[in-house]
Amino acid sequence: MPKVFLKELAFARSGDKGDVSNIGVMAKSGSIYEFLLGVITPERVKKHFKGMVKGDVEIYPMPNIESIEVVLRRALGGGATSTLRFDQTGKSMCTALLRMEVEVSEDLLREAREVDKKIEQKCGERK
Amino acid sequence: MKRVKIGSGSAFWGDMLEPALELAERADVKYIGFDHLAELTMALLNRIKLKDPQKGYVPDIVPWMKRLLPITMPKGIKLITNAGGANPLQAAEEVKSIIRELGLGPAKIGVVFGDDILPYINEIRSEGWKFKNLDTGEEDIARIEDRIVAANAYIGADLIIKELKEGADIIITGRASDSALYVGPLMYEFGWDFSDEYTDLIAAAITVGHIIECAACVTGGMSNMWKVAERPWDVGFPVAEVCENGEAVITKTPDSGGIVNEWTVKEHLIYEVMDPANYIMPDGVADFTSVKIHEEGRNRVRVTNMKGKPRPETLKVCIGYRDGFIGEGWVFFPWPDALEKAKWAERWIRERFKRIGIQFEELRIDYVGINMLHGEVAPVEDKDYNEVGLRIVAKTKTREEAEAVRRGATHIWTAGPLGTSFGVPLSVRPVIALWPSLVPREAVRTESRTLEVR
Repeated sequence: MPKVFLKELAFARSGDKGDVSNIGVMAKSGSIYEFLLGVITPERVKKHFKGMVKGDVEIYPMPNIESIEVVLRRALGGGATSTLRFDQTGKSMCTALLRMEVEVSEDLLREAREVDKKIEQKCGERK
Repeated sequence: MKRVKIGSGSAFWGDMLEPALELAERADVKYIGFDHLAELTMALLNRIKLKDPQKGYVPDIVPWMKRLLPITMPKGIKLITNAGGANPLQAAEEVKSIIRELGLGPAKIGVVFGDDILPYINEIRSEGWKFKNLDTGEEDIARIEDRIVAANAYIGADLIIKELKEGADIIITGRASDSALYVGPLMYEFGWDFSDEYTDLIAAAITVGHIIECAACVTGGMSNMWKVAERPWDVGFPVAEVCENGEAVITKTPDSGGIVNEWTVKEHLIYEVMDPANYIMPDGVADFTSVKIHEEGRNRVRVTNMKGKPRPETLKVCIGYRDGFIGEGWVFFPWPDALEKAKWAERWIRERFKRIGIQFEELRIDYVGINMLHGEVAPVEDKDYNEVGLRIVAKTKTREEAEAVRRGATHIWTAGPLGTSFGVPLSVRPVIALWPSLVPREAVRTESRTLEVR
């Protein structure tokens, strides 16, 4: 099975609430969403971020939009107004998660690439 | 079925004005909400107000209203803004003068204030409320009580609705929650109140407000769609067409740039959310796990099936307190051996700080271009980089020590390796730390007033 970065399979966006970093991960398809539920676990996410996340990791599935909300506590060096990090509000945390490496079937990977292609085509027609 | 169009004209203090003007001119909206406040903003505005009691509102409101009101007043578009910040009454006076100056009257300005609980926070404490810290779990604010500089409750739509009923053309609030700027007009238009039968509809309004409140962030900004957005430099601000059954279509100013599609709406639905089944706002609790999203056309996304729970008995309150200083300095190193030079400089500065004897609360060193953003998650490649920066930043108890950190970094300019480059030094900044907490709704003494300009 090919090993790919999570960015091949999902979109993501992150923001902050105090010292909490929240990352929404949007699967590129329904079957990818089902697959990601098994991959994006609190243990694995915490390990991926190494020392950057000091507190707990919580996972909230959103089947209605095939997305997963990942909540990282004590993850922003104290929160926007007091952190020493340059990225005070954790806007780049989503891309740090998207570089997680996952083993995935050829089928799911193909499905994800088709979604990417479809977005590009649709937007190409507009321009 | 009755339908109301509402737009978002600002996501933060300092946002772009042109897309807001285009929204007013071309989007056929009845209301525009403007969010100008972030968690830190109230503390900044309070500090400004302490120096000058005639200030403390978001200063943008003056140039913005000068450009917006000549468009919105003749069209009857109502503006709802939290730019009042720490001084909504004075902001209203400024807007009053603009209306007079431009001859746009008669007009009514609704002012909503009293979200600032600092003047009476000790009365609330004396009744046994301790302001537990929602982040750290610390039970009582006693440890920081002599350092508090701001305490604002995130207030809801109640008084916005009241002022709309009074006929206000412009409503200026203090720390109204972002969503209340949208929930208020929708509840007013559709005649909803806080009784149980409207719970799901208010949740729908909260959801719609949440989706559009960050302006360009749902129309292709901050987006996974950044490569495919049309003319992103002409990005249009978002519009919600909301039906009285709670369903809505998210779109944007006609003929503007940017993009609204399934993904941009999802991106904002999941943005800055904790438990998505319980998105707690002052006017209700929205459940984002029931919402259905459907792309129904070019730049048109339908959102349906919103559900929720009644509003909470408590309001969120952000307490800001003084917490030392931050000193920071940047230095850049060119090829050849850029990374090696940066590592050399890290060692140099650490030794130097030891010699000066600075007492840090925390010291951080980032390699710009290598790991400043992704930190420990970023793998470091062994190659000869074109350039690498070193960011030296520390938190200290005193301003003098923070100043010594900033200065220390500048000494690498002349003592560092060949080619060391520096630019302009940064200044030391005081830290206002945040203590997020809750306060009983009934303890917050909000009020409103209608000012008339003839």
